[in-house]
This record gives sequence, C-alpha cells and structure tokens, in this order.
Amino acid sequence: MKITQEIKDNTIIMTLDGELDASSSVILDEELSDPKIMSYSKILVDCAKLNYISSAGLGVFISHLQRFEDAQIKLIFYNMQDKVRNVFEILGLDLLMTIVSDYEEARTVSNE
Amino acid sequence: MIFTVSTGGIEKIITFHYKINQKQQSGNAFPTGTVFRFMLYKTNAKSILVTTAVVSWMLLLLNILITAEAINQPGAVKFSLPFINNILIVIFIVSVFLYQRLSSENLKGIDFIGYLWHLFSKAGVAAYLSVALFLGYRLISNYTNIDSPSLLHLMYQINFGLLIIFLAKAFYIWRQLLLYHKNKFLQIAWDWFELLIFGTLLLTLLNFNYTSYIFLPLLALLSFYILFLCTNLKWVAYLTFNNKSRSLVLLGAILLSCYIFINFFRQFADSPDLVIDYTDVGFLLLAMLFVGLYTLAAFLVSLFSLPTSSVFEQKSEDLLNFQRLSQSIQQGQSESQVYDMLFESTIKASDASAAWFELIRNSEPQVTHLLSINAEQITRIRHLLLAYNIQNIDYINNNLDRNPGFRDLTLPWKSLIILPIKSKNHLFGILYLLKDIEQGFDRETTNVLRTFTSQTILTIENLRLVNESLLNERYKEELKIATQVQESLIPKTFPTDSWFEISTHAVAAKEVGGDFYDFLQLSESRIAIIIGDVSGKGISAAFHMAQMKGIFHGLMQQDMPPSEFMKQANSALSRCIEKTSFITSALYIIDYRMKGFMFARAGHCHTLYYNSMMEDVFYFQTEGLGLGIIRDKSYNNHVREMYYDYNPNDVMVIYTDGIVEARSPDNEEYGEDRLKYMLTQTYHLEAEDIKCAIINDLEDFTGPGNLYDDQTLLVIKFKPTQQNDEPSRT
Repeated sequence: MKITQEIKDNTIIMTLDGELDASSSVILDEELSDPKIMSYSKILVDCAKLNYISSAGLGVFISHLQRFEDAQIKLIFYNMQDKVRNVFEILGLDLLMTIVSDYEEARTVSNE
Repeated sequence: MIFTVSTGGIEKIITFHYKINQKQQSGNAFPTGTVFRFMLYKTNAKSILVTTAVVSWMLLLLNILITAEAINQPGAVKFSLPFINNILIVIFIVSVFLYQRLSSENLKGIDFIGYLWHLFSKAGVAAYLSVALFLGYRLISNYTNIDSPSLLHLMYQINFGLLIIFLAKAFYIWRQLLLYHKNKFLQIAWDWFELLIFGTLLLTLLNFNYTSYIFLPLLALLSFYILFLCTNLKWVAYLTFNNKSRSLVLLGAILLSCYIFINFFRQFADSPDLVIDYTDVGFLLLAMLFVGLYTLAAFLVSLFSLPTSSVFEQKSEDLLNFQRLSQSIQQGQSESQVYDMLFESTIKASDASAAWFELIRNSEPQVTHLLSINAEQITRIRHLLLAYNIQNIDYINNNLDRNPGFRDLTLPWKSLIILPIKSKNHLFGILYLLKDIEQGFDRETTNVLRTFTSQTILTIENLRLVNESLLNERYKEELKIATQVQESLIPKTFPTDSWFEISTHAVAAKEVGGDFYDFLQLSESRIAIIIGDVSGKGISAAFHMAQMKGIFHGLMQQDMPPSEFMKQANSALSRCIEKTSFITSALYIIDYRMKGFMFARAGHCHTLYYNSMMEDVFYFQTEGLGLGIIRDKSYNNHVREMYYDYNPNDVMVIYTDGIVEARSPDNEEYGEDRLKYMLTQTYHLEAEDIKCAIINDLEDFTGPGNLYDDQTLLVIKFKPTQQNDEPSRT
C-alpha cells in the first residue's frame, strides 16, 4: 500500500495505491488523524490503483467520516474500480459518502 | 652359623605369611564384586608391603649391628654378608616404593598446593627428623665420650629408612604432577623411566659397582632422561599468584630436605666406621637426582612465572566469566543477574577504577550499578558526553586530560570507555568504565570487554526469547479457550421441520473469527434467522460477535420487524463498539403459515435467491447501511425492509463476504457471479447437496490452505407442503 498526498490550495489529493488491508489501514489512519489535515476544506481520494479494501480499511474511513463532516471538510472518492465500489455499495456507504467517476467530477462536486 | 639359620627361618615365616594373605584374599574375593575385590586387594597389598618394609628394615638393622659388633671385637670371626644385606635393602626399597605408589593413586584433582603440603608434611619433615637424630647422636657421643658403633649404625640406619620414605613419597607425588595433562608419549616415557630406574636395583642386588666404566654411561643416559622428564611442569601454570608464592615456600622446604639428605649421606660416604654405605646404591642416587631436579625445576619455574601469573589468572577468570554468562540461561537467571555478572566481570577484566551501568527502561536511562563514583559525577560526565554528542555509541578516550571538557570537570580519571549493550534494533543499557591512568583501555582489554558485552547481548536476547515463547504459549492457551467459547455461541443444530431444509457451513480463518449466525423460534410458524460479520478479526471481533448474539436474542424476544431490529441494534452497538468497528448483518423472519419471509439487510452481502415459479436465480438488491457506521437517529433512514412470498422448492443462499471475496492463487475473487452460476446448476438438489457443491467449487477455486477470511454459508430450501408427513433432514 502506498499513500501519496498532493496539496492544491485548500485541497488534499490523496492517492491510494495497492491493497488496503488490516496492516496498511493503520498507515491510512495515521495520515487521516494528522491534525494539519483539518486545515483543508477538501479531501479528494484517488482510488484508481486501489485494488482491494478490507473491512478494516472501510472502518478507517467510517471512523473519520463524522469528524470531517463536523468540520465541514468534503471527502470525495473518485476513479473507483468496480469491485471496490461494490464493497462500498453493499455496505451502504455509497449513500453516505460522495463517490464520483473521475477527477473533473470530483473537482466540480467539491466546489458546489 | 646360628645366625644364618635364624635369618632363613624368618624369611620363611615371611613368605608363609604372604601365602596365607594371598589365600585369604582369593578366598574372600570370589563371591564379592570386582570393586570390593580390588579394594580388598589394595588394603591387603598395602598391609603386606608395610609389614615387608618393617621386617626387612629390622632385619637389615640387626644384621648390620651384629656385623658392626663383630668388627669391633678383634677376636671374633669376621664375616660379612653383603649379599643378604643387598637383598634386604632391595626388598625394603621396593616395598616402600610400591606402598607409596599405591597410596599416591588416591591423590586426585588439581589442588597442587595440597600435593606439595602432603609431600612436605609426610616426607619432607623426615629430613629435619634425621638432622635432629644426627645432632642427638653427636650430643650423646660427646657427652658420654663413648664412641659406640652400634649407636652410629642405628642412627645411620634410621636415617636410611627416613630417606627411602622421603624419596618414595616424593617420587610418586612428582609422578602425579609430572603426568598432569599427560599425553600418550609422556605416559610411555614415564613407564620406561620407572622400569629403568627399578632396573638399577639389579646392580645392587648383584653387588655390582655402578661406578664401573660399564654402567657409568648407562647411568649418565638415565640422568639425561631425568632431565627431560623434569621439563614437564604444566601444573605450575595453573597456580594462581598466591598459590605460587605458597608453593615456593613448600618447594624450598622440600629442596632443603633433599640437601640435608644428600649432605648427610655424602658425609658418611666411604666412612671406615660403617659396615655399609648407601651411596653405593645407584638407585638411590638416581631417585634423589630425579626428586631433587624436579623440585628445583618446579621451584625455578614457579619463581620465574610469578610475575606473569596474574595475566594467566586474569585470562582464566575471563574464561570462567564467559562461561557463567553463557550458562546463565540454563540456570534460569534473570536479566538483572546477567547485568550484575557483566558489571563485575568487566570491572575485573579491565581493572577499572570506577564504573557505572545504565539500564534503559522505557527509553530512559537509569543507573543501576555504581562503583567508586557518585551520582553527581555521573551527571557531569553525561552532560559533557551529551554536549559532544557521543552518547550511546562505542567510544574510547584513553587520554581524557587532553580534552578540555573533561579537564574542566577535574575528575580523577584519565581513561574512559563507553560500551553500549545493544542489538540490531534495541538498546538494553550502557556500560561506562573509567581508569585513573592514561592509555587504560588498550586493544587487548577492549577486545575482552567487547566479547563480554556481545555475550551479554546474546544472553539477554535469548532470555527474552525464552520468556516470549512462554508468553506466546499462554496466549495460545487463552485463544484456545476463546475459540471454544465462540464455537459454543454458534448453534450446532437448527430446528428440523417439514416445511424447510437448512444446511450450514462455517470456518474461521484464525482461531477466533468475526462471522456468526443464529436463529430464534418466534412462534410455532415463525422463525428468525440472523447472519452477520464483524469487521476485523481476532479476540475483539469475537467479543462484538458475542454482543451481537446477545442483542439478537434480547431484542427478538419482543418479536419486532427486521428493520426495527436493525435500528435498535444500531443504537445499541453504537454505544459499545469502538469507532473503527462496524457490523454487517441480515435478518430474516420466515412465516410458514403465510408462506413468506420478511427481511432487512444492514450492509451485509446480498441474498441469493432461486424462484422456482419463474425458474430464475437472482440477488435481492435492497438498500441498507451496516451497523455502527452512523451512530445516531439518522441511521433509521438507511435501512429498508422487504417482504417476499416464497414458493415450494425456492432456495435461499445466505453467506458472508469470506465466500465471494475468496481469492484464487492468481488473486482473482470468487465473486457473486460464480456463486449465482453455481446455484443455477444445483437448485434442484437438496439443501445439503447445494451447500456441498458450492463449497467444493469454492475450494477448487481457492486451492488448499488459502483461507484469509472467515467463511459462512447457509442454504435454505423451502419444501412443498404436501410433503408434510415425510421426515425432513437438517
């Protein structure tokens, strides 16, 4: 699992590369727990190279969801592979989180 | 003439006595064990040898006194019996030597000082006794003015006895020491030496003069042999400094004994007053040469190795300490004992004048051992080291005076070595040694110190590994209990009824899993079935699963619709599971009388269904959010309920994500499509056979030993009502 961050103005673009399982979700949790992340208003998560997400990985996003919502930070996923999207959908997270098809859409949605 | 006869008579008595002893010995020996027989033989042999020695010495004395008296009386018949004398001398010598040979075999171990003391106290004093005797004789003869040849002979004879005892004792004790750490060659050399030196007794027996030209070269050769033997002094190296000084005193005393005897017998050599001259016995000369030379050699070697003995002492102590360190695990010692050992050993090995040891506890150094240094001095040195940034690293400074920082501290030490006790990824502690001289830690000392520290690291790591494995063993036991508890939470049997069949499959990827299912008979015609999956694995997942089971049984007592159950369960779980955890679940309430079921899905996998009327296999696409994701009332908007009428022969497949997310060796997922395909092929079978077919296919797909997630599968088949009377299967 490789997590890279790119900062554009008030937006963090986080790229997930690989499999988000029990061990790599710890790294993701550390990244999302970083206090300085609260100073941005948008977090765009590029899931193009995310091949697999375990329940532990989902748990990390779920645990931060409420916090971001309270701080009015938009969390947007894009470029999600079908099987990963299916996992989000089965759990019902697609209704809770913003999942869009590509970067352009993510930008427009985030600016709404 | 009378005299000769009587002597012969006594000799006969001796041989007779010998025979009796031998008979007794063999008679006793046969019924008893070998060891006892040997001991008996030894004690018997010893007493025989003592008797022989005493008797032969007495006879010799008697013979000499009579001869001496005969010389003094001019009228008497002059006759000397050198042959009998020689035989008696040889018998006496041989018996005393053999006796000492037997007793010296009892001496064992490496208490060399004990050997020397034994030799001095039991034989060396004989020389001083002989001096006393000689002086006593002089005193008496001067005082009484009688020149008694008998008295002279008596004194001479007693001294001869003492000399033989001394020589025999010394000879065999030196043999024990000489053969210390022997090799085969040395053993053979010694055996030949013993044989040869006893061979020289033949010269005496046959009354040859050893000073003749024929034997002199032979004796000279033997002397060289003795010189060679005297170079075997390995035992001296094992003496400590103290022991060497003590051994020097004892060896000196023994040397003096040798000198006294030599001097005494030389004085009386070729004396016209004496009828016998023991200096004629070549054996004695050689034995004395050996004893004297070996004592001298031992004395000189001890003396000259005295200055270097401390080095050997240090080395052997280092070795011993290494051994203690490496054996501390077997002896079940604790870490602190290992550090104690390290501290003591390194101080001794380096002769440090001050030292302290810091143990790292929770990455904070803590001084646990101190030597000749106080806490205030330590703090000052540490501050300085911190300033130079040379903490926790290997560091040697053999000239602290040249360093301005240390000079300003005005401490009495001039050399410092820092030895961190650290493995690849862990720092256990730091050892600081100080010396009050410059160049205190040379390369040799440093090497020894490093060996100590690396041995300590090894020991500590091994100790920890041992403890860890013990702990792991305990965890395994506890996990086993958790597994048993969890297994008891999952129902083994479902209610059997005529209107449906149910077949289950459940395996956990680890000792404790996160999957669960359960049922509750709500009324005669209604049954509730729940399936769930707790995020994460292991003990915490198992706890959440137990909670979920409790919630299921608690809430369903009130008989509520599935969606209401999900809302209440979400509210209950929100309060008790950690933030990153959530639970997916699906609840089905099947009503046999109504021929339908109601269900709600909370983030759980879609239900696979075969409708026999439409001959269609499909997944129920319902919405529903997992439990514990939204922890407030808004969850209520995220759960849907569905009602479905079933037909006879309909099949419902309920499962967890461990089934559809199972991976093949090529990392492909089993998937919903393949599961759906499997049902289209098998729906006509009975529930048990459908389950087996799916599981077999799944195992074919993943390959053996490829279980990463818990897998749970329930197959329910509704049966036609007309088959009510037939026995149903579970």
